[in-house]
Amino acid sequence: MLETSAETYWEVYEFLMREAELLDGHHEREWVELCTDDVVYRMPVRETRERGAGEGFNGQMYYFDETRGSLELRVRRLETEYAWAEDPPSRTRHFVTNIRVSSADAEEELAVRSNLLLYRSQGTELHQDLISAERRDVLRRSEEGLRLARREILLDHSVLTTHNLSIFL
Amino acid sequence: MLQQPAQHPAREGETYQALTEARRALVEEGKLLAKIYNEPAVFEMEKDNIFTKTWIFLAHETELPDPGDYVVRRIVGDSFIVSRDEHGEIHVLFNMCRHRGMQLCRVDSGNTSHFRCPYHGWTYRNTGKLNGAPFQKEAYGKDGLDKEEWAMTPAPAVGVYKGMIFASMNADVPPIEEYIGGMGWYLDFYLNKTPAGSEVIGAPQRWVLDADWKLAAENFFGDGYHTQSAHMSTIKAGIMRVKKAAYFKDGVQYKVGPHGGMFIPFKPGSFFNYPQDVVDGMRENLGADQFKVLEEDSILPLNATVFPNLSFLHSAMAVEPEGRSIPYLTIRLWQPLGPGKIEVWSWGVVEADAPEEFKEEAKRAYLTTFGASGTFEQDDAENWRSVTRVAAGEMADHHYLNYQMGLDHVEPIPDEEWPGPGTAYARNFADFAQQRFWRTYFEYLLGQ
Repeated sequence: MLETSAETYWEVYEFLMREAELLDGHHEREWVELCTDDVVYRMPVRETRERGAGEGFNGQMYYFDETRGSLELRVRRLETEYAWAEDPPSRTRHFVTNIRVSSADAEEELAVRSNLLLYRSQGTELHQDLISAERRDVLRRSEEGLRLARREILLDHSVLTTHNLSIFL
Repeated sequence: MLQQPAQHPAREGETYQALTEARRALVEEGKLLAKIYNEPAVFEMEKDNIFTKTWIFLAHETELPDPGDYVVRRIVGDSFIVSRDEHGEIHVLFNMCRHRGMQLCRVDSGNTSHFRCPYHGWTYRNTGKLNGAPFQKEAYGKDGLDKEEWAMTPAPAVGVYKGMIFASMNADVPPIEEYIGGMGWYLDFYLNKTPAGSEVIGAPQRWVLDADWKLAAENFFGDGYHTQSAHMSTIKAGIMRVKKAAYFKDGVQYKVGPHGGMFIPFKPGSFFNYPQDVVDGMRENLGADQFKVLEEDSILPLNATVFPNLSFLHSAMAVEPEGRSIPYLTIRLWQPLGPGKIEVWSWGVVEADAPEEFKEEAKRAYLTTFGASGTFEQDDAENWRSVTRVAAGEMADHHYLNYQMGLDHVEPIPDEEWPGPGTAYARNFADFAQQRFWRTYFEYLLGQ
């Protein structure tokens, strides 16, 4: 069961909601500032494997394998006037549910799991993309409040059904 | 130019007539009919005359390091198991049970000595040989099931080129070495530049894109012109560490047999920022003429396409703000799913004998700038999707695109001055390589 107080749970909930709001509102600069300087942000490649062979997450190759610096570069790119993949921008909606909070290894950290359903549409196209994943985060307490120290995005897809990942999950 | 011209082009009908005129316009006037993209009738002809006639890349040997390893791959709609047997031999087996047609293997990869059909339980070795059927004596009698005759069906042709496993639906296809031909000189830089060769890192990224496969294939043939616009964001953000967008003008574009690609310049003596161990490996393993291109001309093959849909890329980009450029490699397959739709398969590749620390850096340089999330590649997806969408309409039936860049004012490098096979041009703002793609394409589609 949950090892955390209602107060802590509420704090985590507010952090995840704020984060989703920033991303859906195209405030990527503010979002990246919610990440710690040593953040690890990863989305491993997933293969379809036999049931006995595990979940199929490849330990070597990723769709994202980011540091604070590489996330900054991605945001810096979006801020140029030539980031065509996001101009016109994607319309995204991050639906974050099934939030589970437990204590992490370090005292000032919380281990948080959540389910993510990401809706994406762009331009005047009639079809929309959906990406489903579980996120395994580590949130760290700081003087400014909670910060994202680690995120692992575990896809429910072995083939991505969106044309690129010019967005954050 | 083609060793194996198209065998049975449908020499009649509206599509054939329109394509014949499109070829004439390309060859004589340097313009391409936009309707070539995202047209179902054209795609049907491509399946018959290109994807079932040529060699198609399936897997790299390093994806199957151990006996029993297998991956499941496709040639358009046909599924194949690529397996390594107990003796280390590679097999490419049609993924359909000989009994009632069930797909034998329904996962992407694994390790097994046998494949067992879920439907009635026929079991095959990873060589394809039929091992047996349940209740065999009761069902088929003592000698009633010929295990040789009812083995899994191998791909009509299989070829391995410098670690790359290809198959063809065409049993009469020329040998892979002959098909690659002079392109091999250029592919050495991607596959074989150091003594241990290249290896795939983990598993490929895969994503679906509403884009015609030809847009990606021709871009990787030699579109040196798009970077200054399509990828300007990476220059402005300091990801691609070049001073001026016109940088891609210089270099060398080449066409060789049905294939092509281009080189870009780097700072003399920097060897594209490869670590010294890799540079030493290149000096040892590449031919003297190949190494000279790096050492004296200071150029390196950037992008290339092996016709029809296998592309290669070397690039070097920064991963951290104000960071140095880190070189990396990727192989990709533009797998058609239908007209105007592809599944992109993107492998991160690295020199197998490079220092571990460099391998890790190169992997991150690859996946932060190329692949589905790549800051560089994202914008290609946008452009190719957009062309594909616009080409679907009626206007595209009579709308021509310009393929004339450099054709009138750029001369080939004289043969005695260029060490590589084929024809080379000292200019990347030019359409020579892409012209070769389209001429090859029409030759397959319509015959010589």
